Parts: sequence; structure tokens; C-alpha cells
Amino acid sequence: MIAMQTLPQLLLLRGQQEPGRLAQRHKKRGIWREYSFGDVLEQVRGLALGLDAMGVKRGETVAIIGENEPDNFWAEFAALALGAKVISLYPDLTAGEIDYLLNDSEAVCLIAQDQEQVDKGLAIRDAVPGLRHILYWDTTGMWSYGDKGLHTTQEVTARGIERHRASPDAFGAMVAAGQPDEIAVLSYTSGTTGRPKGVIVTHKMMIDNAHRIMSAAEVRPGLDYLTYIAPAWITEQIVGVTMGLAVPMVVNFPESPEQVLANLREIAVEMMVFAPRQWESLAATIQARMLDAGPLRRRIYEWGVAIGHQVNVGRLEGKPAPLLARLLYPLADGLVLEPLRDKLGLTRLSLPVCGGATMAPDVFRLFHAIGVPLRNIYGATEIGLLTLHQSESYNLETVGHWMKPHPDAGKPLEWKLSEAGELLVRGGSFFQGYYRNPEKSDERLQDGWYQTGDAVTQTESGELVFLERISDLRRMRSGDSFPPQYIETRLRFSPFIKDILTLGDESRDFVGALINIDMEVLSRWAEERNITYSTFTDLSQKPEVAALIREDIRRVNLFLPEHARVRRFANFPKELDPDEGELTRSRKLRREFITERYQALVEEIYRGSSTAAVNILITYQDGRKGTLSATVRINDVDEGFNIIELQDNRRAIA
Amino acid sequence: MEAMAVPHGAAAGARKRPVLAAQDIGLQFGGIKALDGVTIEIGSDELVAVIGPNGAGKSSLMNCFSGFYRPQRGEIQFDGGPVVGKSVHQIARAGLARTFQGTHIFGGMTVIENIMIGRHMHMRSSILDAFIHFGRSRNEEFAQREVVEEIIELLEMESIRHRPVGTLGYGQRKRVDLGRALAQEPKILLMDEPMAGMNTEEKEDLARFILDVREARGIPVVLVEHDMGVVMDLADRVVVLDFGRKIAEGTPAEVQRDPAVLKAYLGEGTR
Repeated sequence: MIAMQTLPQLLLLRGQQEPGRLAQRHKKRGIWREYSFGDVLEQVRGLALGLDAMGVKRGETVAIIGENEPDNFWAEFAALALGAKVISLYPDLTAGEIDYLLNDSEAVCLIAQDQEQVDKGLAIRDAVPGLRHILYWDTTGMWSYGDKGLHTTQEVTARGIERHRASPDAFGAMVAAGQPDEIAVLSYTSGTTGRPKGVIVTHKMMIDNAHRIMSAAEVRPGLDYLTYIAPAWITEQIVGVTMGLAVPMVVNFPESPEQVLANLREIAVEMMVFAPRQWESLAATIQARMLDAGPLRRRIYEWGVAIGHQVNVGRLEGKPAPLLARLLYPLADGLVLEPLRDKLGLTRLSLPVCGGATMAPDVFRLFHAIGVPLRNIYGATEIGLLTLHQSESYNLETVGHWMKPHPDAGKPLEWKLSEAGELLVRGGSFFQGYYRNPEKSDERLQDGWYQTGDAVTQTESGELVFLERISDLRRMRSGDSFPPQYIETRLRFSPFIKDILTLGDESRDFVGALINIDMEVLSRWAEERNITYSTFTDLSQKPEVAALIREDIRRVNLFLPEHARVRRFANFPKELDPDEGELTRSRKLRREFITERYQALVEEIYRGSSTAAVNILITYQDGRKGTLSATVRINDVDEGFNIIELQDNRRAIA
Repeated sequence: MEAMAVPHGAAAGARKRPVLAAQDIGLQFGGIKALDGVTIEIGSDELVAVIGPNGAGKSSLMNCFSGFYRPQRGEIQFDGGPVVGKSVHQIARAGLARTFQGTHIFGGMTVIENIMIGRHMHMRSSILDAFIHFGRSRNEEFAQREVVEEIIELLEMESIRHRPVGTLGYGQRKRVDLGRALAQEPKILLMDEPMAGMNTEEKEDLARFILDVREARGIPVVLVEHDMGVVMDLADRVVVLDFGRKIAEGTPAEVQRDPAVLKAYLGEGTR
């Protein structure tokens, strides 16, 4: 078990005890470059002493923005080593969004990746009075920035390394002064409602949460981990940053986010954590490629996956596969499953984890069928990771069994349900509050319990089932409620659907849906069938496409009670885009915003019209604005669905 | 990499010592005067655009610089030495690289291989070494590959580095062509209509790469271009040719106002 300590103390220990052990691997300029714990320690020590010399003090805040690169992690370790706290920012945030976060977290120093990020820093420098320094680590595009106050991290590190030579004890003393109860990270919740709030994450919470995973799953030292999810998300803080030191793991950094699939195949990592979106997109890639394959290959693929499903998913669910399937499994594995895993770089993957939101069990089953033992993890930024699919057999409809916190972090986890069915939790390192926002912090607490805001139940085996955010269960005029996410996650499994927004509230009589089609898959599909189209708008409104989506909705409707079924739908005439505020940076839907933006469309759906004229103001990447005008088709899921009748019935009842 | 960026001045102050200078050059094909007494100087840190209507002699001028054509009259100095009389490969070796109208790259070879060709003049191993591919020739290839990868990073071609160039889109092929020219580590870069046939997005991408290249490498760039928007956005200085003669020279704004230029482009009395 790892002793309770701060992250820099743990790093110092690794660097001194096993300086030659491989810590990080980064693909840069076509080659995987390796860094040992000794190398990492040297960089971190240099940068920490350099930052110290620049006047960054214990207790202040350092902000970091950039892709997952070793320098990003080094910067974080360095800031923590000198006793500062870190706020990690999503690299695709706009300058306007950063402005608020830097002010709220009282950042004094921004460490940015490259020109793109530095530009954002320069744009908001005047709006953030506390910001004293801007540093960057990638010089690409920075050749003509003579601007004062900009430094490279390399420059600062070199200065720090010199300081270390002059006074070799300074770094050790700095690190030793740290306490596990100090704030390590401010993790901003993505804020689907209101302004983001900075959740206080102490060193103790980081170690506690890393310990929870390490004692719940098999994680051997030296395990190859792929860092892909952003350190701005608490999960990567716990896995990539903390477990990287605590296990210790080899943290692999892909060349760029676009290259991750190609890179994955080269290193075949053993552990990775993706959000549902990313697993879904990987599943969609498989499905789309198989749609492309010839009929014979597709037949073989389907046969192999079916056998894999019977054997692997059967074992998981405690239903032994028929003898024939078990006999054929080695053949299916050799012919289909193993090559498929190899193609995707998943051959060595022993701990694939899905976290962040719910994902359709169908996606889980597909991965299990091809021999990738995908596990769910569940938790919240505020209270940490709570449950994980553990051991060899677990229920895919659940989020797994409860994990055990670090003994030095607090009492064991306890939970109960409120009267409204909300999950309340206490124990472990617990919720430490929102930064500079005691009011909002108190709102989440009730007699010493943390209110998760999640509606859950438990299976007989003791596994937790996540149903829906309490605030997301939606009631219709009739008083019946329906679970929007439940419907949406299951529909997103369709290769043709990228995002879906269900409609319906107390003023409505039935459930409607707005669909964002998957252009990449559908364009190929259309091409194969000689369906001509010009733009996204055109393709999305084709009757053939509507028919395809209708089939998918009907399939999911079968699992829903009558009143919760999707009755009418329309396809968005343009892609949903985080740059326009339709999605959050972690690609969650901004429901209210979208509903308002497409108000006209929504009204027509409920009025029973078969088309709607939509005018949407759009912003191009270079900042120009324009209007998208389109006629959007509205489709009934089942023929003969009659709105008037439905409304008349309601009136009669009322 | 860790030295601080040196600030570049824009147009002014950069023309201390011309890298490339043409003095009164004349080029004739039979009775047609392609170039007639053109004098032009390119400073060590300039982005110069050469514009002009069709047949003005822009490409002929490029071909004189790179040694494809031999002007009958006048002198061209490159990096302190004469150009006229030297062969194409000698001029290239002296540090002049160019990209072409259309693309001159090998469709069946990958992006890396194509750019590697630009490194050819920096390699020393013999054909025999290459056949054995051991020791010197192997190490050399590793070293050259580093340089090529730097260019791939600069031009953001990581995702296509192993793709055969023939399968790429036009915009990407132009980028490979630019990468190949950069691999020569030139002292000056000539680009012949780099934007021709591109859509707006591809143009904007390439324009950014040209600026990046010029800043990152600190070399002068000569751009022959039809697209006025591009020229006005990018160039420090514009040289206008018409019927083989230089009719104007100056900053983009100056040239735009020049009556001779308006006449050449729009004809007389149409404004």
C-alpha cells in the first residue's frame, strides 16, 4: 500500500530509489522517446526551483493548458513541488472561458503548450490582474513573439537546474514542507448548469482515490498506460498523474489526439481510460469498417463476434455458453477476434475503463465479445471514485461494486438513499468544498452526507445501478416521467447517430428527439447506395436517412414503457459544435441552450407539422458569422401516430 | 530550441544584404521578350511577391533564378556568387529551393520518402553503401530522418506521414512539395503559384505554413501568385511584372494604388 504523502514526495522517492525505471514515453517526431523517473525528477526539480526563483509562492495557483504531453505533467509536478496548487485547463477552451477560470482560481502563472494557447493567455492577460507570468513549452509558431514576460519552460528549468547545483538541498526541503491536506488541484466541474465551480482536491484525495483503484483492480508495477483523457478531468488526475507515480506505471503520451488510434496500435497499452464518447466512437469505427467490408467478410465477422458474445458475455453474466460455442471459440478468436484486437492495438489491454457518464450496455457487450474486458467506473469530482466493475464477473447494466478508501484518508465509504432516491455518500477523504464558494459547498451537504444528485438502485449482488441524474428525470404533462439519458445512451450505440437530445417536459404530451447524424458513417452509407447529397444539411434531411434512424429508434422503443417512447424526431441540419456552445468541452449536450436555439423546430414537432423552417446563427472557425437556413423534415416513429388524438384524450381526462 | 525567439521586423529594415539579386536580365524566346531588363533584389528576411497578368514573365523569372532558363542578358547573384552559367543542381546545392506550379512529387512514394529526397544533397554515402545499408548509410538515414520529422511536425503532417502521396488531396500534396523544398535547408525559397487550384480553407492553411516557414527558418521567400488576397496578406513587398518588364514595386498598399498596376490588370479607362 502507498503511504499517505504528497505527490511530489512520492515522485522524489521514485526518482531517488529507482532513477532508471521507465516513467513516461512520448511519441515525438515519429519516435517514442523515453523518460525514466530520474529524468522526470530532474525536469521537475529544475522547473520547480526555476518557478520559485520567478517568485511563484507556496499556496498560489499555477494554471496549465495544453494537450497531454510530458511537459504538461512535469509542469504540474513542479508546481505541486513548490507548494502551489494546479488548475488544469481543457486545451480547446476559448480565451473567454479561461478568463473566468483563471480569475476564480486566482492563478498567478499560466503554463501553456504552444502558440495557440499562449495567444489565449495574452488575450486575457489584462482581464486577469493576478496573472504575473506566462510560460510555454513548445516553441512552434513562437518565433516572432518578442513579447516581454513570456518564457519557455526549458529556460526556467535550466535556471532551476543551476540553482540546484548551487544549493542541492533546496528542492528536498521544499518538497518536505508539503502536507497531504494541502490543496493539490482545483478541478472545475464542467458546469452543464451555471458557472463552473472549482472542486478542491487535496493530495490526500489524490492518493486515496489512486489507492481505491489499485486495491479494486489488478494494476502491476510497470503497467503501460495510455494518457488520452485531459488532466483537466479529475479521472486523469487520479489515474495518469497519481497512479503513474503510485503504482508506478509507464505513462504513454500519443503524438497528438488525432494520432491516438495509430499510436495505440504501436504500443498496445495495458490500461486506458476513455469517456463513453470515445469508446462509442471506437465501437462505431469497428461497425463502420465492417459495413464497408464485402458480404463474405462481414458474414465471418458477425459469426466470430456472435461466438465471442456467447462465450465472453455469457461467462460475465454467469450464463455458461453452449458447448458448440465453446468449441468454436478458439477458431473465432483466431479468425476474427484476435485480428480485430490487433488491428485496434488492444491485444495487451487488461484494464480498459469507461468513466464519466453512462454508456449503452450494448457497447460494453461488443467490447467484451471481442475479448476486451471493459469496466465501468463511477464517481464524482467532489467525492472521488466510488464504484468499479471488479473481479471476473460483473453486471454490465451496473457501475460495479463499492471500492475501499485509503485507511489513512478516512472512514470506509458509507451510502444511503434519500427519500427521492438520491445517492448520499460519506467516508474516505470526503468532499472538501468548492474553492472560495462555501455557499454552494453547503448546498451539497446534508447532516455530514454528500448529496451526489444521482438516482441509483442496487442489484442483489450489491452492485450499484446508475439510473439518471435526479434533476434529469423528466416529467410530462400526464405526470409520467421518462429517463432521457437512458434513451439517449442506448440510441447513441447506432453507428448512424452521433448525438441525440430527447424532448419532453411538463408542457408536452410525448417524447420527441433531435438527432445529430454521424456524417462520416452516413456519407459512406449513402455513397454505397448511390444516394446523392451535397452538404451535411442535405444528407441529414434525406428520407432514406430518416428511415434508417427511425428503425434504430423503434428498436430502443421496444425496451421502454408506452409513455416513455420516442414518438417524433428530426435530424439537426448542422453538426452540434462545442465552439458554438451546443456541447460542453467534454462533449455533453447543453440541453437548455440547444432547445432554445432550435425552438422553432421543437414547436413544429409538437404541433404535428411534417417540416419546419430553421434559421440558425452560426460562427465559423475564423470568427465570421452567418445564418444557416434550412427546411427540416419532422418524422413520425410509428405510422398512424396521431397527436390530435393524444391531445384530445388528455383533454378528456382532464 | 530554447533560445528566445528573435523578433523580426516586418518589411522595413530587413533588406541589408540582398540574398538574391537580378540585374537587368533579359530573356528572349525567338522574337518574344519574356523578360526585358528586370532588376530585382531579395533581402535576407523578406517575403516578396511577384505578381502580374498572364504571360507577364513571372514563371520565366523563377526559371532564370533556379537555372532552368539562361537569360541572354544581365546578371543574377545568389548568396554572393553568379547564377547564370551554373546548372540546376549546382544552384540547388548552393541553397536555392523551389516549389512548382502543380506538384512535382513522386505519387507512389510516401510523404516521408518524398521529403527525404530533399535531403539527398545532404547525404554522403555512396550507391554501394546504400545497397549494403549498414553502418554509415544506415546511421545517415537515421540522422536525416530526424530532420525530416522536424519538417513533418512543422507542416503538421503526422497523420499522413506513411501515406503514398498519390492518395493525398491536392492541398496536402502541395504541403509535401513545400516540405521537400524545406528539406534542402535552403537559403531562399521560391514558390511558383502555391495557391493555384486550392479552396479557401487550403489556401488559408498554406498561407499560415508559409509564414511559419519564413519565421521558423528565417529565410526569404519569393512567391509568384495570382491570388491577390493572398499576396496582400502575406507579402512584405510586391514586384509587379507586365510584358516582361517591371512596372511597379513597393508595399502591398502602395502597389494597389499604383496607376500602372491598375492599368495592367484592369485596362485603361475601366475604373
